[in-house]
Amino acid sequence: MSKVKTYKVIGLRSTLLSLILFLFFILLSKQFEPYNQSQLANIAMLLIAVLSITLLTGASGQISLGQGAIMAVGGYSSALLVTRLGLSMWLAFILAIFISALFGLFLGLAAARLSGPYLAGTTLVMALAIPSIAVRFETFFSGDVGLSVDYGMPPEWLTNLVGEISIEEWSLYVVLPFTAVALFAVLNLLNTRTGRTWRAVRDNEVAAALAGINIGRTKVIVFVCASGLAGLAGALYGFRGLVAPSVYPTDLSLTLLTAAVIGGLRSIGGAIFGTFVIVFLPDLIEKVTKNFAIPETVGIYLPALTIGLLLLLTVILNPRGAAGALEHIRHKKKH
Amino acid sequence: MTPFLTAFFSGTAQGAIYALVSLGLVLVWRSAGVVNFAQMGQAMFTTYIASQLIQHSYSYWSAFLIALISGAALGALVDLGLMRPLTSRKNSQLLNSQSMRTTIPVIASLGILGVLKALAGIFWAGEERGFPSPVAPNAIKIGDTSLAITGFDLFVIGVVFLTLVLTTIFFTKTGMGLAMRASALNPEVTRLSGIKVGSVRTLGWAISGIASSLAGLLVTPRTNLSPNTLDLLLIIGFTAAVVGGLSSLAGSVLGGFILGYVISFVNVYSAPENVFIAILAFLLLALFIRPQGILGSKEVRSV
Amino acid sequence: MNLRKPLILTVVASALVGSLAISSISASAASDPGVSSSEIVLGMQLPQTGAASPGYNKVDDAARAYFDYVNSKGGVNGRSIKLVVKDDTYKAGLTISTASKLINEDKIFAFFGSIGTQTHVSIIKDINRRKIPDIFVNSGYSGFYTDPKKYPTTFGGLGTYTVEAKILGKYLKEKYADKKIGILYQSDDFGRNAVAGFTAAGLKFEAKKTSASFIAGTQGSIGLASQLSQLKANGVDIVIIAAVSSATAVAYATASAIAYKPTKWAVISVGADATTFQTILGSKGVPAATSAAMLAGTISASHAPAPGDATDEYVTAFKKINDDFNKGADKRWDNNVMQGMNIAYLATSALMGVGKDLTRAKLVAYLEDNGSKLSSAAFAPLGYSKSTHEAFTGFWLGEYDATTLLAPIDGKRVVYTTDSGSGAVTVSNYMRPAIAADALPKVA
Repeated sequence: MSKVKTYKVIGLRSTLLSLILFLFFILLSKQFEPYNQSQLANIAMLLIAVLSITLLTGASGQISLGQGAIMAVGGYSSALLVTRLGLSMWLAFILAIFISALFGLFLGLAAARLSGPYLAGTTLVMALAIPSIAVRFETFFSGDVGLSVDYGMPPEWLTNLVGEISIEEWSLYVVLPFTAVALFAVLNLLNTRTGRTWRAVRDNEVAAALAGINIGRTKVIVFVCASGLAGLAGALYGFRGLVAPSVYPTDLSLTLLTAAVIGGLRSIGGAIFGTFVIVFLPDLIEKVTKNFAIPETVGIYLPALTIGLLLLLTVILNPRGAAGALEHIRHKKKH
Repeated sequence: MTPFLTAFFSGTAQGAIYALVSLGLVLVWRSAGVVNFAQMGQAMFTTYIASQLIQHSYSYWSAFLIALISGAALGALVDLGLMRPLTSRKNSQLLNSQSMRTTIPVIASLGILGVLKALAGIFWAGEERGFPSPVAPNAIKIGDTSLAITGFDLFVIGVVFLTLVLTTIFFTKTGMGLAMRASALNPEVTRLSGIKVGSVRTLGWAISGIASSLAGLLVTPRTNLSPNTLDLLLIIGFTAAVVGGLSSLAGSVLGGFILGYVISFVNVYSAPENVFIAILAFLLLALFIRPQGILGSKEVRSV
Repeated sequence: MNLRKPLILTVVASALVGSLAISSISASAASDPGVSSSEIVLGMQLPQTGAASPGYNKVDDAARAYFDYVNSKGGVNGRSIKLVVKDDTYKAGLTISTASKLINEDKIFAFFGSIGTQTHVSIIKDINRRKIPDIFVNSGYSGFYTDPKKYPTTFGGLGTYTVEAKILGKYLKEKYADKKIGILYQSDDFGRNAVAGFTAAGLKFEAKKTSASFIAGTQGSIGLASQLSQLKANGVDIVIIAAVSSATAVAYATASAIAYKPTKWAVISVGADATTFQTILGSKGVPAATSAAMLAGTISASHAPAPGDATDEYVTAFKKINDDFNKGADKRWDNNVMQGMNIAYLATSALMGVGKDLTRAKLVAYLEDNGSKLSSAAFAPLGYSKSTHEAFTGFWLGEYDATTLLAPIDGKRVVYTTDSGSGAVTVSNYMRPAIAADALPKVA
């Protein structure tokens, strides 16, 4: 009896939190002009990918430097479905989740027995190799030029309802429902027994095995879930305008990991914070440096330098990330 | 020159470079227990320093020497500034979990890579430059036919083997080398026997830094120098180290040459576009068939 | 939890109501953005940093130099031209963001001279959908220009690779009919487009025998030597290179390392920038005299005068403006600088031609109707019409002499012209009008 109630409560809480996030984004977007609205859309879709890292690395302790490659899988799946089979964008996004999850199954089976640097290195090689397949099989994947896809124009019923909206705002509206659902899924996964199982595997494999957890199967399941998320993010990311190898470079994977670490690997709130930082920081830096006479060549590299330093400082001084620091303060206040 | 011979000589030349990169990775792994993903970033950075010196009319060899010294300094700095604080008391809470202990240093090294690339951009505008080679890059001639291998390639191969010999002697025959292996394997016990684990580890990073610089100086004559050109080398070097055995110095060199041949033959007999996929396939194959590497020893898991 | 639920629900509900009450952003103002009584704002995206940047990162400073010159002479119809530039490091993912910034924050009037094919593919549809003029795109990818119904506001700034390859290919095929012709190309859209063009010209390549490729951007770290060795082993005597200039330099160095001396090298203009070539080889320790000797005899094509041609009036005039007005970090005179100034010259002509009442639609219409009548340093007119927005449809063929100057083959400059389709290659009889004394375009 009590078990059912717990799930109900968790489910309700997840729904509420996802809804709040959804509305928060919409309210924020109303205050913004188009460029920042498109930035919000970027945050919304990259957040899904960062959440995949929260699951994979934060919850189950498996490091992946290749989430960008899985994003590419999702991107190409959805783009091909739309351009070759004429499916609707929405259906293509949903199917991309499943295709990426299937890919994650194979990846998990291969990677489940790897750990630490071996897993990191293998996923990094993957980040390089997977997009190159598009160039190798040029006729099918359209090689370097890629597949041109986009979100289309806002539908009439919407503009009739809320008035004219910019193309950028429409992109946000397309992405947000998926972000909300992804958040809902992740909240549920992490707060229920599944999450506890994953964390047990992360903390001490031997003890977990002794407690009856099937290590291999758990790891694969995490890969499947994380890949489904990353694939969805990749599909949404591709529809900004282009699905091509250069849209999913190796540093995309590293950027996602950085966002997760800065915000807090084990925290969903941290994932949200980290993604906001990654996306808005370059613009923020540009605004600040405009007042100083900084040569162009230096200014271009300042965002990358800042983010790299942030990552290092986080890892050394505050490995729990921003979310961890917040929790620390709250703890101190209580005691 | 038949395709086979072309692929063979080319593979040998390239393999030497990969061996050097792989050697550097294994050096850090054996002395500090970390896989340093920033290694080629360090190589890139010190090679830019050398390039600047050469552009300001320093001789090649003095620039070479300074690059090696800065490589050692950079490596030591990474350890002192990053890796040591990482393993200190405050963070042991996060590092309690088994998987995090190996993951966090990887993430840290990625941070360093990002910072080094950005600094290269700020200091030198990240511009692509060529880099001179100390030995004229002319093909070796046997009688009338010229082989697809140059004097410079032979020089690199010589350097690789020299480095391998020197580091092997260091690790197996010297007291310091023994101390390094011990502190990587079991820092607690080593500390108890009076060895300064921290300093030993820093030395390991410094030595690996020298190897990285060496790799950068010897590879850029062929590939040009820019913040991103050496990234690919890290990936290949890592694969080589895994194939040969992450715990074996000789294995890393062997892995480097093997990978050199694999890439070269795929390049010549198949197509260049297949190379990345071939690397991944080869890596997966190695991990499945013999995860400890050809010359590596099986890790005993303690319960 | 039970006490908090109603509170949360209330907050959520009010937020919902509130958000619906806020009116959405209104549509654009009466006139086009980027045009005021005093200023016209143009936007440009290019790889200022990163692997693809050598050479190309001088185009924006050069263009700005010309615009500053125009502004110093009173501007266009009383408006000064402002060029806003963003670095996309040649990554399509970034291009989408920088384009959004240019459109929404800098509020540009038109896109000008965007560099990069891959990167432009990611935004061309959006730009056209918003009806923003996309003029003088620095890409030779014919797919952007040959269907104006698909991309009505996009106009080329470079002759297409297909046109150049057809012209170069026909010449090589006829002149060296008895020799083996091979190609080394980088495996991206540029390289492949070039191969397609040469094939259309009737040249046949066999993979691994007469055709070698390398992964774009890797510049020799993976087996460039073995690729060239294969060409050498198969007796390829005429080698075509379709790659960027820095890769071309590495290719030449590698060839000399394996003692490969083909009778002739032929390099597509995009990869034949002599300055980049010499700079890269120079930093490898090759003295300038040696690299000049390596380049001597190489065949290439161009639509404009060679930058080192001291007798050309456009070169002289542009060079002076470059000396006086270019504020970039590297302003050494070369192909890239000249291209930047030339398309700035053309942009100025177009803006002048539209007149005081400047709107986006009018600029597009003007280019389509009058583009082919505009003159510039090029020896071929712009090919703009209702059916195509290709830029210069003509190239002349030259050989590099011992001073890295590209001189017309056989001493006489012959301009060939063709289309990006299957049309034949013919000789063009276009006479380039002289430049005005003040180096400003004169538009009726």
